[in-house]
Amino acid sequence: MDVSQYLEIFLDESKEHLQNLNTQILELEQDSENMDTVNEIFRAAHSLKGMAGTMGYKRMQNLTHDMENVFSEVRNGAIKVRANMIDILFQCLDALEGYVSSIQETSDEGTNDNAPLIKLLNDILDSKGKDPVEVKEKDQAPVEAAVAESSASTMRWNEINLGSSEKVVLRAAKDKGNHIYGITVRIQDSCILKAARAFLVFKALEEHGEIIVSNPSVQDIEDEKFDQEFTLIYVTKVSLDEILKAIKNVSEIAQAEGGMMEAPEVESSTVYTGEEEDTTQSNQTAVAVTDMSVPSKSGSAQKDKKQTPAKPVVNRTVRVDIEKLDVLMNLVSELIIAKNSLVSASAVEDTTNSAFNEQIEYLESVTTNLHESVMKVRMVPIESVVNKFPRMIRDLSKNLNKKMELYMSGEETELDRTVVDEIGDPLMHLLRNSADHGLETAEVRKARGKNEVGSIFLDAYQDGNNVIIEVRDDGNGIDVEAVKQKAIERGTISFDQAENMTDKDIIDLLFLPSFSTAKVVSDVSGRGVGLDVVRSKIEALSGEVEVKSKLGVGSTFVIRLPLTLAIIQALMVVVGNEKYAISLGSIQTIEDIRPEDIKQVQSKEVINLRGNVIPIVRLSDVLDIESNKNPEENMVVVIVKKGEKFAGIVVDELMGQQEIVIKSLGKYINKCKKISGATILGDGEVALILDANSLF
Amino acid sequence: MDEIKSVTENAQFIVIKIGQEQFGIDIQHIDNIVRMQNITRVPKVPEYFKGVINLRGEIIPVMSLRLKMGLEPDVITKATRIIIIKLEQHEGIGIIVDEVKEVVTLEKDQIEKMSYDKEEKKIFVYAVGKVEGALVSLLDLNAVLADA
Repeated sequence: MDVSQYLEIFLDESKEHLQNLNTQILELEQDSENMDTVNEIFRAAHSLKGMAGTMGYKRMQNLTHDMENVFSEVRNGAIKVRANMIDILFQCLDALEGYVSSIQETSDEGTNDNAPLIKLLNDILDSKGKDPVEVKEKDQAPVEAAVAESSASTMRWNEINLGSSEKVVLRAAKDKGNHIYGITVRIQDSCILKAARAFLVFKALEEHGEIIVSNPSVQDIEDEKFDQEFTLIYVTKVSLDEILKAIKNVSEIAQAEGGMMEAPEVESSTVYTGEEEDTTQSNQTAVAVTDMSVPSKSGSAQKDKKQTPAKPVVNRTVRVDIEKLDVLMNLVSELIIAKNSLVSASAVEDTTNSAFNEQIEYLESVTTNLHESVMKVRMVPIESVVNKFPRMIRDLSKNLNKKMELYMSGEETELDRTVVDEIGDPLMHLLRNSADHGLETAEVRKARGKNEVGSIFLDAYQDGNNVIIEVRDDGNGIDVEAVKQKAIERGTISFDQAENMTDKDIIDLLFLPSFSTAKVVSDVSGRGVGLDVVRSKIEALSGEVEVKSKLGVGSTFVIRLPLTLAIIQALMVVVGNEKYAISLGSIQTIEDIRPEDIKQVQSKEVINLRGNVIPIVRLSDVLDIESNKNPEENMVVVIVKKGEKFAGIVVDELMGQQEIVIKSLGKYINKCKKISGATILGDGEVALILDANSLF
Repeated sequence: MDEIKSVTENAQFIVIKIGQEQFGIDIQHIDNIVRMQNITRVPKVPEYFKGVINLRGEIIPVMSLRLKMGLEPDVITKATRIIIIKLEQHEGIGIIVDEVKEVVTLEKDQIEKMSYDKEEKKIFVYAVGKVEGALVSLLDLNAVLADA
């Protein structure tokens, strides 16, 4: 079988399963008795193994197989979860992640057998003095085995709870001389379209008789909410052999077995299977297997649904290639441009035709809604990025030998997919920073009267057209004096400069390349590549970072990101004969300033605006444009804000507000830092977008 | 176009004029030829970048081949055209030429590779084609588009 076409699905799903495992094992560490968690882990490991097996990644399959063995023992209560076991499991996950990333890069799993890990896993099993591989394990093992292996699932159909109406139907059918069969069908692990196979089975069966009950329900099967197996109660006049043959004619069916059932009030007595069955297995094992493979409806006692905190296993979603979304977004952009040109055309034409104007307004509202919906489609919760952090903090806590706890909120906050993909690294840097530089050791904390366990908070929330992500810790805070000393030592600033700098300016020094205050360079941070990378990454996403800190109390890093990158509201301005767009998000106010109000401070032009001294930037100077304006006239100054700082941009004229589509200038010509992109105006002209942040 | 087989042996070139010299551009790298239009200036970029244009919704940078080659600045006439070039794995870029003349097909034996001094940097021509007695300098687009 050529599996390369499934590689992407495999990678996606493997990552999901690994993330799930990470989360669940963390949970297990907190509550080692929680059987739901154990079951979930088992299920994820099992799926992972099946997938790896199908794709032919034997090493990955072996490792997951052994992990699964351990969990099967845990689930049976034969092994208790211990701390060292959790560590080993995490190492296994890391190894699996290694396989996955290697597969992603080279589509080969590499040659690392991870033998030591496998040995450790087997040691755990052996410590129980039990045969590590139970008979039933074979049953779930790789695809090729599944067909021939015998199953422990005998008589699964007896576990189906029959409703009274179903009992009546069955009884009536029996009276008419029909046979009642219980049938369990197992689909191959490798099957991609399980629902389709199940449908074919249903169709084949319905030719000869009637399906009375199915477990999981028909709806769940259609939605693929089942593992590999489903069980049916079936009424027909045809013999069981024929029925089983019909089922096996459907491809990718690993196994089908069935048994005669009596009319419901009597217990079933005859058992017949289509294969050479090993029926000696205990019923107990069968129950355990059922519990694993038929999660949704099994009446097993081990599974208490109310306790399950996990999200639904399958969402009703469609996986869409991000490129297709980009195309869609581009088309919406085109539409907005076309709409803008219609609007500007209608402004030029005689506008007495009110019907025309009405239609234009209607078009405007439709395009705005369309834009919003497409934007929403591209939005994903930041959860996919942040949910790896609890695990990271746990590891950091061990590595740094500090006690700490991560509290997260707002994981459901949504951002544009492209932003979410980029935000992971900066956040990781900040968290590591908090863990390493921010939090004190347990002894110091105790001495300071703080809780021994340090807290790190990661909060995300939406604020207007921005998303704010805060990384906060209750650690030592930034020692401004230490930073100052260090900066002077390194020659970053002179002693005199340091005297005149505010605390905020000094904290800003931390964002300079190669600046680290950690006295000891640790594994975690201190190489001075952190904060400047954070800042440049965030700014590349048109966002900004701010720091608030109080010595002894803790520090907060605030990241502010735009909701979307592609389409923004902008103020159009004119300088000379050129038009520029300034993002409305960064504009504070627009002022009319008399030329004589401009003052010189350190040979820089400033204005005093309601008590604030604000430096001004003449756009004509910065961008080499000849201004058309008489210098005697009042000046139009656009006040822009970056963090806590303000600047005034002097322009010739204002054109008005407009929704603009941001387009890249392309890499041939993007040398100018002051320009962040271009947009197409209603009349087809190109206007450049000014990066207000670069003017500070 | 219907002689796909011959394309591998012969190559088609668009002949353009800059001043009195004729240049040939391999047709497979040409995306489009458009009339001169309003170019939006981009500040703080090398002089030979004239700016960007809107080509059916795409922002395309435009450079002056004349300035890049160190010749006199362009004089815009009715014949002036922008040739949009798309090299593999690159975005489109437009170059301004004085005039587009014709399309010629050159056989292998009509193309003479140039041997030139590697030291010299501003070499934008990799070969010379002979068409009916006239000479066409074949442009090395990678060199033209490389940032100088």
